[in-house]
Order: sequence, then structure tokens, then C-alpha cells
Amino acid sequence: MKKHWLIGIVTVLILSLVTACGSSKGDGGDKSAAAGPAGGTKKELNILMETVPDTEMVQKVTEKFTQETGIKVNIEAVNYSSMHEKLVPQLLGATSNYDLIVVDNYWVGEFTDAGWLELLDSFIQRDKFDTSVYLKSMFDMVGQVKGTTYMLPFYNYAMALVYRKDVFDDPDLKSKYQAETGRELKIPDTLEEYVNISKFITKQKGGSMYGSVMMGLRPDPISVEWLNYLYSSGGDFYNTDGSLRINDDKAVKALELYVDNMKNAAPKGAAGFGFDEAFNVFAQGNAASFITYNWMLPKLQNASESKVAGKVDIANVPGGSSLNGGWGWAIPKNAEDKEASWQYLKWIESFNSAKERALLGGSPTRRDVLADSDVVGVFPHYVKVQYILESSKMIPIIPQAPQLIEILGRELSEAVSGGKSPKAALDTVAKEVAALK
Amino acid sequence: MNASLSDKLLNRLTYVFLIGVSLIFLLPILWILRTSFTTKAVAYQIPPKWFVTPTLDNYRAIFSNNPFGKYFLNSMVISLVSTLIAVFLGAMAAYWIARSSKGGNFLRIAVLVTQMLPPIVMVIPIFLMVKSLGMLDKWETLIITYLSFNLPYMIWLLIGFFETIPKDLDEACEMDGCTKMRAFTKVVLPLAAPGIMAAGILSFLLAWNEFLFALVLTGTGSRTLPVAIANMETQQGVMIAELCASTVIIILPVVILSLFIQKYLVNGMTTGSIK
Amino acid sequence: MFTEKRKSFLIFFIPSMIVLAATVLYPLIYALIMSFTDSSLKRKGLGNFIGLDNYTRIFHDTHFLGSVWTTVVFTVLVVTLEFAFGFIVALMLNRIRFGKKIFFTIIIVPMLITPVAVGLIWRLLLHPDLGIVNYMLSLIGIEGNAWLGDAKLAMFSVVMIDIWHQVPFMILLLLAGLVSMPSEPYEAAKIDGAGRLQTFWMVTVPLMKETIIVAILFRAITAIKTYDLIFVLTKGGPGTTTEVISYHIYKQAYTFLDTGYASAMSYLLLLVIFVLSIVFMKVSRSQPQA
Repeated sequence: MKKHWLIGIVTVLILSLVTACGSSKGDGGDKSAAAGPAGGTKKELNILMETVPDTEMVQKVTEKFTQETGIKVNIEAVNYSSMHEKLVPQLLGATSNYDLIVVDNYWVGEFTDAGWLELLDSFIQRDKFDTSVYLKSMFDMVGQVKGTTYMLPFYNYAMALVYRKDVFDDPDLKSKYQAETGRELKIPDTLEEYVNISKFITKQKGGSMYGSVMMGLRPDPISVEWLNYLYSSGGDFYNTDGSLRINDDKAVKALELYVDNMKNAAPKGAAGFGFDEAFNVFAQGNAASFITYNWMLPKLQNASESKVAGKVDIANVPGGSSLNGGWGWAIPKNAEDKEASWQYLKWIESFNSAKERALLGGSPTRRDVLADSDVVGVFPHYVKVQYILESSKMIPIIPQAPQLIEILGRELSEAVSGGKSPKAALDTVAKEVAALK
Repeated sequence: MNASLSDKLLNRLTYVFLIGVSLIFLLPILWILRTSFTTKAVAYQIPPKWFVTPTLDNYRAIFSNNPFGKYFLNSMVISLVSTLIAVFLGAMAAYWIARSSKGGNFLRIAVLVTQMLPPIVMVIPIFLMVKSLGMLDKWETLIITYLSFNLPYMIWLLIGFFETIPKDLDEACEMDGCTKMRAFTKVVLPLAAPGIMAAGILSFLLAWNEFLFALVLTGTGSRTLPVAIANMETQQGVMIAELCASTVIIILPVVILSLFIQKYLVNGMTTGSIK
Repeated sequence: MFTEKRKSFLIFFIPSMIVLAATVLYPLIYALIMSFTDSSLKRKGLGNFIGLDNYTRIFHDTHFLGSVWTTVVFTVLVVTLEFAFGFIVALMLNRIRFGKKIFFTIIIVPMLITPVAVGLIWRLLLHPDLGIVNYMLSLIGIEGNAWLGDAKLAMFSVVMIDIWHQVPFMILLLLAGLVSMPSEPYEAAKIDGAGRLQTFWMVTVPLMKETIIVAILFRAITAIKTYDLIFVLTKGGPGTTTEVISYHIYKQAYTFLDTGYASAMSYLLLLVIFVLSIVFMKVSRSQPQA
């Protein structure tokens, strides 16, 4: 019997060595393949994208590219929360299966810091691709980092206040609010007034309508929602000298307002809402306002998804500075044929392709597309969106941004439902963020 | 008689209980079915509209926007093949361990240890290995990778089932001169059929529902259903109606399949008592 | 050449071991090595050897320690409730003749649904304002709850959803055990005039022992590894009320990209499960057979 044991163990060990050796040999083989001939000879491009309607629009217009150049484009779309798991192992290898990827703004610091993205400046200069057409707030976020261009902005998801016109224009509510507070009920200029109005509407309407619907799910929904409060009340993560100010008075005030609104105006259970739960409360007509992505407006105007179609409008977040967000196109450093990747990138971001995508409902990043008369003809609210985009602020571009959001999300959630005081929660954020390496 | 009366009462109670339990399981499923025929606006309407004109748009959408049929085929082939291999190899190994006099306990734990590490940390080395072998996005890759959890669970579940079968049965057969393999296939396997069937279903479902390996190791070619379904949660919201439609599509064939294999599992009573 | 014994060893045992070696051993060893390094997904290769630093760091990680407790609560609740409920259902299914197939089919349906879909569908059903569950409760005069958004209820809700999804596994395993039991001991018990409860404790439980051990350990190990359901339902919130260990490890690996630390935590987890499994097997085996 003992002998069987030995044989078993030895076989297992030998086999594991064999597999280990096999894999290291394979590595070498891959590298030599990557060093092969390059220069636009590739007949097929693989792109990793996120599952959003913008991706479908890219898919639609890309048929033209294939007709023009004969290059086939495979677009693989995965959902947002799986992107990171899917991408990072790919970027680690000697070669990547993807010729082009899209990068979320809060991965930009991490990806550029790790050296995963190809520099685009030489391509841009050589082909005289004009990057000044992009909105500055977009290009600073998902275009260049410290003066070096790594990406071209793909689409924006800046946040904004979406509200019910009929509720804010309701004469009955208006007169009651005037009588109670001596102020006019309108889209407010400050966050404080916004929270007041929101609480007032919830109180007036009983359970049938809430002043605002909020989303307290960790880590992204609550973080991005609260960052609108932070930026709109004049707070920020860092001072200009690079020191942290996430727990200063303005930030604490912003969190107090946020908790107040969550506890006294938002639907019960909003502390666990993600984007979708909150969206549906608003779409069913149970909320008067909602801080969300600007491109939710067309969805809310669509009767198959929303019961409030026609009654909705968009405005800047009270206080004037919403959270900017967006995705950028990038070429992985380990892509096989960067020339071919660039050829496609240049094409899909050209004015004509970008306009075509925008007309299909895509969310533009180029100023000339956003202001194009055909595009504005179809989407009149883009005039406001451009203004919102220009005044919005982004999450700081640092390599630890995903960690930052994770920590922030956890502590905000503690402040909303765990009984931690706003000051204590933000102090913890400051402490842990300072300790991030 | 008293005994038969209490028997009858117990039978009644059993049915009442089982119907209650079935309802707990069934009601959410029925709601999924209902949602699959509505739009998102109707799906979230409270109080619910009980009578809606059903729409087939969601079903149309999942098949026209995605190669859903292909994902289904991928999932089916990968789960089935990997389960069959696991049953074949696992049953033999489990039998050997169950009948070996020493080390049964050690081996049992050793097999289980391979499953104690979260798949999250296993997937990174597996990805690097698969990539360097040039095997990404292939059926075979997922089939083999799924053996990494299917086979140990299979071995481990079956050891227990084989141990409940009295040793004298196959030993008697070996005494009569048949080989170990023959004793195994002719005597032990038929007796263990319910257990093997249960373990087989379990291992099929583990593979059927697996997400992380499928996400990291596949591209568009061998993408499986869980990855395709996860994609219905987008940055613009959950496509809940389409999600319910695909869930219905996923459930149906497997339910039909299970009706066929059940006779080995549920009606095992008679086979189990053959001596 | 080969003895009969050695031949059967080669035929029966070795093929499985080869497959296991090829699929599990390499990642297991790789992760073990990783746990002693500062390896990160940001760098190629394994990183620098840093000895036991990752392991000592675990004990200063307050969030890790918190998640250990959450995991214990989750696992104990899920395993005991699923076992008790599963055993009752399995016993009843085993009793009846008529309608067995239909009941069985209905009961196994939840486990055919992929965890991501289970999570998303339950989020629809449990929506505090727009969900059917709260609506139904309101019809019978009970005020609904914010199931997943309420710090006091979130864990309960997650456990209930997990039971709905996973109890079929338990029923399946236990039913298979019941079905393959020999009928002689029952006949003997009947002749001895044993009552129903007596028969259950003296015949069914001892005969089912192996199956029960297997089922409980199987479920406990998969429960400790649960992360996808948490990921879809609560992301560990509200606050940190549902942050289980596997989700914590998942974040270390994929949000913080700290694979060295994630591997160390995983190996510590492995060690704990390993010890607990051995203790469980020893204890449950040592009880006198009836």
C-alpha cells in the first residue's frame, strides 16, 4: 500500500513540473510571435468594450470601416463590473488578444501608471489628428495624463439633475412652499435648498412621491452620487498642494446634507439602491428628482421603459458642479499590430463617424458633434449637456482611484446606514486614502 | 386501524407541506415568466397590472442581438462533456479510495483541499497557463478547467455513496473470479446509480452556472450563458425583461432533461434494494 | 508483471490524479508562492519575496477580521437552515408516490439559474417600492421592508435568497442518499415494532451518516466561497453588514490588484477550512453507530 502512495505523489509532482515547464516555454513562443512583421497587415481587429448602447452604435457604424478597408472588426462586449477582471490579466501578458480597449476614467491612473497603454502622441502628430475638438473636461480625463496622450475620449457619462417638470411647476406645491418658507419652489441654486425642497415634496406627497430618489449601494453608486454633493458644495479630494481635504468642513457639510436627504426624503431602502433600482423608482413616477447620468434623459423619455415620458427635463446639479465621467479608447501596449489599431481608432473618432454615432443616440465627447445642428435637432437637450460637461469635475486621476472609490463607498454607506457620524466616516476615508501606496 | 389512520394523516400533511414548499420555489419562477413577456416599465409597475398583453420582443431581442443559441450550445457542450468525464474518472477513483484499506481518510481530505481555495486566486495562474499554451477561447479549455472543481467534488461525493454499498457484494464477485473492473461495473455501479446521478446533476450545474473562469478564459467564441447573462446588467441599467426571457430559455430544456434522468434518481428505491 | 492490486491502482486511481495534477496543482502552488511575495496585478511575474509579511498584515486588517465574523454567521445560518429544510423535504419526497416527479422538478428549478441572474431577479422582487414581495405583504396588511437596504435585514435577506437558490443541492444529495438505502433494516425495525421517530433515529440517520457528512461539508465549503451572490445583491453593504471573506478577498485581488495579499488570505482561509473539516469528520465519525 505504501508504495502506491509514493507512486501517486511522484507522478503528481512530475506532472506539475511538466506543466510548469510547458507554460514557461509557451511564454517564449508568444514573444517571438509578437516581434513578427507589423504595419497595417492585420486583417482582423479584436476590441474589448463594455455593454452599453454606445457599443451597439459603434458596431453599427463599423460595417462601413470593414467595407472601406477589408479589415474585420470583432467587438467583444462584457459588462461593466466584469471589465476589470477581464482586462487586467490580458494586459499583464506578453501579448494581448485585444487590439483596442476602452478604459473607464477611474482606471486611467492605474493603467497608465502600470504602463499598459500605448502612447498616442506620435500617431496623432504624424496623421495630424486634431484633438482640440474634444471638450476640455473630457480630454483631460480620458485623453491625456500630465500632457501625454494615451486615449481618445469615447463617450461621456457626466452626471446631472434629472427632474419632473410637472412637479416643479405644480402651482399648488409652489404656493404651499412659498407660504411655508417664503421662497420660490424652483430648480434651486444650492444643495442646501435642494435638500429642503426634496424633503418638502416627500412630506407633502406622503408615500406617493419622494422629493428625490437616491442610490446608496456600495461602492460606485453611493460614491458617484455623493461626489456631486461634494463638488457642488465646493469640496474636493485634494488641495492644490496635493494634501488631502476629503474631511474638511465643506466635505462634512456635503455628507450631512446627503445623509439628511437620504433619511428624510429618499425612499425607504434607497440605502441599498443601485443605479437600476433608483432609475425605476423615477421611471415609475415616484420621485421628483434624481441625480444621474445625463444620457438617462432619453431613456426616461422612452415610454417602454418609463411612465414619465414627456414630463422630464435636465439641469445642472444644484451648486453647479456635477461629477464628470467617461470612457476613452486606448491601444494596449502589448497589442500585436498598433498601426492597424490606430487606423481604426482614427476612423471611429473622425467627425463623420462620431456624428453618425451621436445621431444613433451615442453620447458625444467632441464639441463639434455636440453642437452640430443635425445632432441638436434630434437631441435638443445637448445644449444643456454641453454646459454641464464643461462645468463638471472628475474623480482624481491617481493610480489608486479604484481603491479610493471602494474606501469612500464603504464609509459613506457606514454614514448612511451604519450609524457612523459624517465626520468620523470622512476621517476614516482620509486616513485610509493617505495610507494607500 | 389506528396506524393506517395516522399514516393517512401523515400523507395528507406531507402533501400540504410539499405543495407549500413548491409554491415558495415556484412563485418567483412564475414572476420571472411573467416579466419575460413584459416591458421594463410594466415589470416595475406597482400595483402590478395583472393582465398585460404579452410581448415576444424580449425573446426576439435576445436571439437577434446576441448569438444566444451559440452561447446555449457552448454552455451545454462544455457542461455535459466535463460532467461525463468527471463521472467516468471520478467514479473509478472514488471506488478505489472507498475500497482501499488505508489512507481513505487522508485521500478524502486531500481531494477536498483542492477546493478550499477561492476560485478568485486560482483564476490568475490558470489564465496565465492557458494563455501561454494558446488555448484561450476554446471549448476544450473550459472543459478541462471545469474538471478542476467537478472531478474533486465528484470523487468526494461518490466515496460516500460507494461506502454505503456493502463490501461483501463486490468482494464476493471477485472471489468468483471476475476482475475488479467487472465487479465495479456489474455490481457496484447499478447499486450506486442514484448517487452517481445526483453527483452528475450537481457537477453539471456547477459547470452550467460557473462564471469567473468562463469570463476570463473565453472571448466571443466559447462564451457561456452566465457571462452572456451578466452582460444584461449594463451601465444604463439592468435589462430585466430580457434577463428573465433568457432565464426562461435556460431553465426549460434542463427541466425537460431532468424529467428523463429522474427515474434513476427518484425511483431508485427499487433498484437500491436489489440484493 | 503487475499484481492485480497495482493494476487496479493504475486503472482506477491514476487517471483522476493526472487530471487533477494538470488542472489544480499548478494554480495551487502558484497561489501559495504568490502569498509570500508582494506580487500585484500591476506587474509582470511574481514580485519580490517578502516572507510572512502578508500573513502578519492579515491580523492588522480590521476589515478582514470583521468579514470573518460575517462569514461565520452566513455559513452557519445557510448550512444549518438548508440542511434542516433540505432533509425534511427529502424525507417527504421519499415518502410519497404520487406527484413525486412534479414536486422534484419544481424544487430543482432555482438551481438551474445562474447566480448573477438569481441576484438580479431577487433585486426586482425585493425592490422596497416597486417589488412584488412588499406589495403582496401590503395586501395582507404588513408593512414591507427595505430588504437589502436595511442594515438589520440585509444579512437575513441574503441568507434567504441563498437558501432559495441552493437548498435544491441539499435536497438532491440527501434524496439520493435516502433512495439508495437498503430496505432490510426498515423491515427489521418494523418487525421489532419500532415507531416512526424511533426508526428515523435508529435506522435512517445512522445509515445516512456518510451522505449527511458529505452534504454538509460540501455545502459549508461552497458557502464559505460565496462571493458572486453578495457581489450582485449588496456589494457587502449596507455599511459592512454583508461583507463576507470571499468578497473581501475578491476586492483585494481585483480592485486593489494586491494578489500577494489576496493569496495569503486565501491560504489562511484554506487552513481554517481544512482544520474545521478534519475536526468535523472526526467528531461526526466518532459517534457510536446505532
